[in-house]
Amino acid sequence: MAPESSLTAGEGPPGGDLLPVLWLRGIGRAGLLVTRHIGRAGVLWGATMLALLHPRDHIRETFRQAKAIGVDSLPLVLLVATLSGSILAQQSGYQFTELPMWIVGNAVAAGMLTELAPLLSAIIMAGRVGAGIGAELGTMKVTDQLDALRTLGRDPVEELIAPRVIAGAVMMVPIVILANVAGIWSGWLTAIAMLDMTTHEYVYGVRSYYHSAALIFSIVKGVFFGVTITFIGCYTGLQAEGGAAGVGRTARNTVVAIIVALMVLDVVLAPLYKAVG
Amino acid sequence: MIEISGLRKNLNGKWVLDGVDLDIHEGMSLVIMGPSGTGKSVLLKHIVGLFDPDEGEVLVEGMSVPKANGRQIREIRSRISYVFQNAALFDSLTAGQNIQLGLSPAKVREYEAHRDPRVREAIEHVNLGPEVLRLLPSELSGGMQKRVAIARAIVGRQRYILYDEPTTGLDPVNANVINRLIARLQGEIGATSVIVTHDVESAFYLGDRIALLADGGIRASGTPTELRESADLIVQDFLHPKLT
Repeated sequence: MAPESSLTAGEGPPGGDLLPVLWLRGIGRAGLLVTRHIGRAGVLWGATMLALLHPRDHIRETFRQAKAIGVDSLPLVLLVATLSGSILAQQSGYQFTELPMWIVGNAVAAGMLTELAPLLSAIIMAGRVGAGIGAELGTMKVTDQLDALRTLGRDPVEELIAPRVIAGAVMMVPIVILANVAGIWSGWLTAIAMLDMTTHEYVYGVRSYYHSAALIFSIVKGVFFGVTITFIGCYTGLQAEGGAAGVGRTARNTVVAIIVALMVLDVVLAPLYKAVG
Repeated sequence: MIEISGLRKNLNGKWVLDGVDLDIHEGMSLVIMGPSGTGKSVLLKHIVGLFDPDEGEVLVEGMSVPKANGRQIREIRSRISYVFQNAALFDSLTAGQNIQLGLSPAKVREYEAHRDPRVREAIEHVNLGPEVLRLLPSELSGGMQKRVAIARAIVGRQRYILYDEPTTGLDPVNANVINRLIARLQGEIGATSVIVTHDVESAFYLGDRIALLADGGIRASGTPTELRESADLIVQDFLHPKLT
């Protein structure tokens, strides 16, 4: 006699009939989770906007954050911008062999102004600033420091979030301008040292692309990115729970969320530049 | 006076508080004790509006905490100070700046933290020297952090001080230091104290009245003598735990 199966009807792996239900349930849960996060982020955004109405309450902390977010990030941003400008010059010099050499200056200026200066600066800031804010606020959350702030009659949005978001927006202006300068400068250095170009050719190429709308677009993009990085860092930090492991998860989630948001924002902003241009 | 009536709170599908009624009169030192995980800290957080109840009412001097708007909750919190279980000092601020946060924002701007006479008076109250005011929390021992947290709680001269497990994580010597400090401050400042603890010895040392929280409600309350003489088996089990 064959041994009786230990599985009874209804047990075991889900059959084909159940799969659509499980899929739907998974999609429903994910939808609820996303909706909940959007709702909470919306409330936090509203509170942050209200806090901006009282700049005097957080001016000192805003300056402190401006140094931490902007000034302290500058060396790394400039290093990456310098390398990016050099790579752009080399690659365009090697690729556009059929075109006049001044096109290298044009390509470096276009690449830096439209994409690389704001986006690469933002990606560096996502790792350095966004993860830092997420971990810092996450630690404050799991060690009751945020609750302590509330019981002391202080509003965490005014004390912690508004200064970071303002500093992120404001400091991206000089960061993007300097990243552009560094990238275009290193492109020139590379062009004359490695591509047998003259300064005149390179400058001609840069000037043939450059127009003030391009620089303004680069800066505006940087400001949007700065707000996105700091706000998402603050939001994910406030969601942290579960001790050291929770703070680690928060730092990781912050970087992932910021990078995805930056890419989406970049796609959304591109048509704006086309319209302005 | 703080009045808690019919307080219910569900956390993760479990009724942690299931109909808590408690009156805390001015000037008293009330100890809320009970086993770990019975909702003592949750109860305390309802008093300062860090938790919203699912049902029930919390009144602080006649003002409803759950129904308070932003301005009202600030008013309520200005009368209460809270000492957190793990001190909850701000890492990036010195001990002096942490204590200064216990003052109203307008008063903070008057002095640098380590020169502020109110901050220096508070640090003396908790038996620490003024040199501590310039140190960061990471440079202080666990016992010193707790004392700085207590200094932050008393500097604003609030009428109510809530202590959440003030001796947790401390060795017996430091735990005794903190217990004696709380008892002494109760005499000197005259604030109403609510102390949450699971330590029976601390509870009987500090409390004018003791309330035992169990099964989501106040199982017994009374003076230390009344509790010792209670015939309730759960009370006696908690006061005299048996190893076997």
